[in-house]
Amino acid sequence: MQFKDQIDFIRQHMKRNKLRVATTILAATMGCAFLIVLASVGFGLHQTITDDVLDNNMVTQIEVAGKSDGEAEIPPADIPDAELQQIKEMAHVIAVVERNKPEAETEIVIGNRSTYSQVVLSSMEEEQKAGFALSEGKMPSKAEEVVVGYHMAERLLTEAEMEKEANGEEVAGFAGSLIGQTVELELTPFTAEGEEAVEPSTWEFVVTGVAKEPAKDWMTDAGIYADSSWGPIFNEELGLEKGYENILVYADELQNVGGITNALKEDGYYVYSVTEELGTMNVFFNGLKAGLIFVGTIAVLIASIGIFNTMTMAVTERTREIGVMKAIGAQPKLIRKLFLMESAAIGLIGTALAVAISYGISILANWLVPIIILSSLGEEDASGMSIVISTIPWQLVVIASAISIGVAMVSGWRPARKATQIDIIQALRQEM
Amino acid sequence: MIKIKDLQHHFKIGKKGNERHVPVLKGVTLEVGKGEIVAILGKSGSGKSTLLHILAGFMSPETGSVVVNGQETAALKESQQASFRLENFGFIFQNFQLMPGLSAFENVELPLKIKGMAEAERKMKVQKLLEKVGLEEVAGHYPNELSGGQQQRVSIARALITDAPIILADEPTGSLDSETEKDILLLIQSLNKKLGLTFVIITHDEEVAAVADRQYRLHDGELVKGEQRHAV
Ligand SMILES: Nc1ncnc2c1ncn2[C@@H]1O[C@H](COP(=O)(O)OP(=O)(O)O)[C@@H](O)[C@H]1O
Ligand SMILES: [Mg+2]
Repeated sequence: MQFKDQIDFIRQHMKRNKLRVATTILAATMGCAFLIVLASVGFGLHQTITDDVLDNNMVTQIEVAGKSDGEAEIPPADIPDAELQQIKEMAHVIAVVERNKPEAETEIVIGNRSTYSQVVLSSMEEEQKAGFALSEGKMPSKAEEVVVGYHMAERLLTEAEMEKEANGEEVAGFAGSLIGQTVELELTPFTAEGEEAVEPSTWEFVVTGVAKEPAKDWMTDAGIYADSSWGPIFNEELGLEKGYENILVYADELQNVGGITNALKEDGYYVYSVTEELGTMNVFFNGLKAGLIFVGTIAVLIASIGIFNTMTMAVTERTREIGVMKAIGAQPKLIRKLFLMESAAIGLIGTALAVAISYGISILANWLVPIIILSSLGEEDASGMSIVISTIPWQLVVIASAISIGVAMVSGWRPARKATQIDIIQALRQEM
Repeated sequence: MIKIKDLQHHFKIGKKGNERHVPVLKGVTLEVGKGEIVAILGKSGSGKSTLLHILAGFMSPETGSVVVNGQETAALKESQQASFRLENFGFIFQNFQLMPGLSAFENVELPLKIKGMAEAERKMKVQKLLEKVGLEEVAGHYPNELSGGQQQRVSIARALITDAPIILADEPTGSLDSETEKDILLLIQSLNKKLGLTFVIITHDEEVAAVADRQYRLHDGELVKGEQRHAV
């Protein structure tokens, strides 16, 4: 029998029992939609949290927190430059930045304005390779030149303005450009309680550039970026120990972060990167998704009982017709195929409907659930919140379809086999 | 064309462990030549249908052999038997055995569909045959919209459509009134003459058997040659 005729054949049969077939399809649809929607929550939450992690991290940054040479632990500051040079030369590494922050209270003063700040001592050349950029001015060319954070100007306040701000009033900060201005950097070593306060030490710097705005609008950058050669000078003047050093390795692209991270780990470095965090999360969420798919499959199995019943009834009802088909010369294989195709068709139609419905429910949930959560929290503004409750990636559609159609065919298997085993003589004896 | 040799068959009746053996066929031998009409007469329950079912391959004989077109049918597997039937046999049943969900046209078309014939070729063939058996008017009707005689014509057309050389008919007029019966018998005769088809007709009715070239009587499990008549 030609495939087209087989399709015609089962379509005719399904039409003859519209109501029964329709209710069976409905059950299959519900089972499959339940599976997809349930699992889509796992996929949605995974996506939301992954996006969140990627959003709030320098995703191409790998932090080196030291090294183990087998016996001793080496802090980042003591890692020899030669080894850092080796890291720099690794494939896909675009920069290795060593950052120092003096362990002292930092204040920037210009005229009668001042602000608390944070000195970052680094090689500006490497920082630039790692993506450090300016919003105005140029990079320092001399040791006495610095770059200030994007928000430095607006944080430089007079004492009167500081008071105003404390009262919740708007303040303007330094008007005009800081480029070319000379700022005073005051460093005061931290003192423990009871210790005598130490007088601050002061240095003067010329601002040549202002850093670009931080990537996230909730971040404020009122720092000051100076060359790393200042580290020993500050430490000596203030009588400080060598502080903690941050070593940051930058990859060219996110997809290479994992490879670099693993390579560094193998060399004994203690490293931390976004892929590490995502890795543990992936394990958790993949487990969750598998669990949800498993629970959803139970619904599909329940629906399959309906398919089994429908097909069994269909075979019983059509015993005489099957007998005639066999008498005329239809192969048992053909009979089995026709019935399997019918149960597969029920599964297929059910799945197609379920996929469409699931997308609808998913869109609805993503729209409705944040509103409900926010209103229950008493918040008005939903614009800042981007929670994805449910996503249906194509992989989920494939998995759910395979389960649904597979289960439909398995439940049609026994009825189909029963059909092939029908005895021609018995069947022909049946009344019409 | 058909060679049946020393066919024996019995049924078991009753519960397991307490069953009774009822012999139905006790050594039936029969030869049917190409283009012959052979009638097998017999009382109800004499085993006529059983003989036909074995001949058609619906069941296997206990002993004896059935050779059709040189092929020992019992030697074939189930799937091979299906193909063999499709090639060699057309069936006419007492209660027509039409598909209620298919129109007259589609019922006749069904064996060709099973054979896998392409649609255009198939439709043409069915159309022609329906004209030949006088059904073109009711081609679109469903079995429940047809008279008994029309239904049996549809079933005859279905038996003929595959060009099978042998037509097996079990009480072909058993459900028809005597007027219609005559029509059908005339149709069978003319098909036999025009197309050279071989018919094995099973009946309890002497008048039906009268169309046959040869008649046999199944009695007490044995086949006896009956009288020869040529009339209608
Ligand atoms: N499946 C069966 N099981 C037991 N007995 C059967 C079966 N089929 C037929 N018989 C018996 O075999 C005998 C012959 O039946 P059948 O060939 O149908 O007769 P006919 O067609 O001549 O009326 C009958 O007595 C019937 O009761
Ligand atoms: Mg009978």
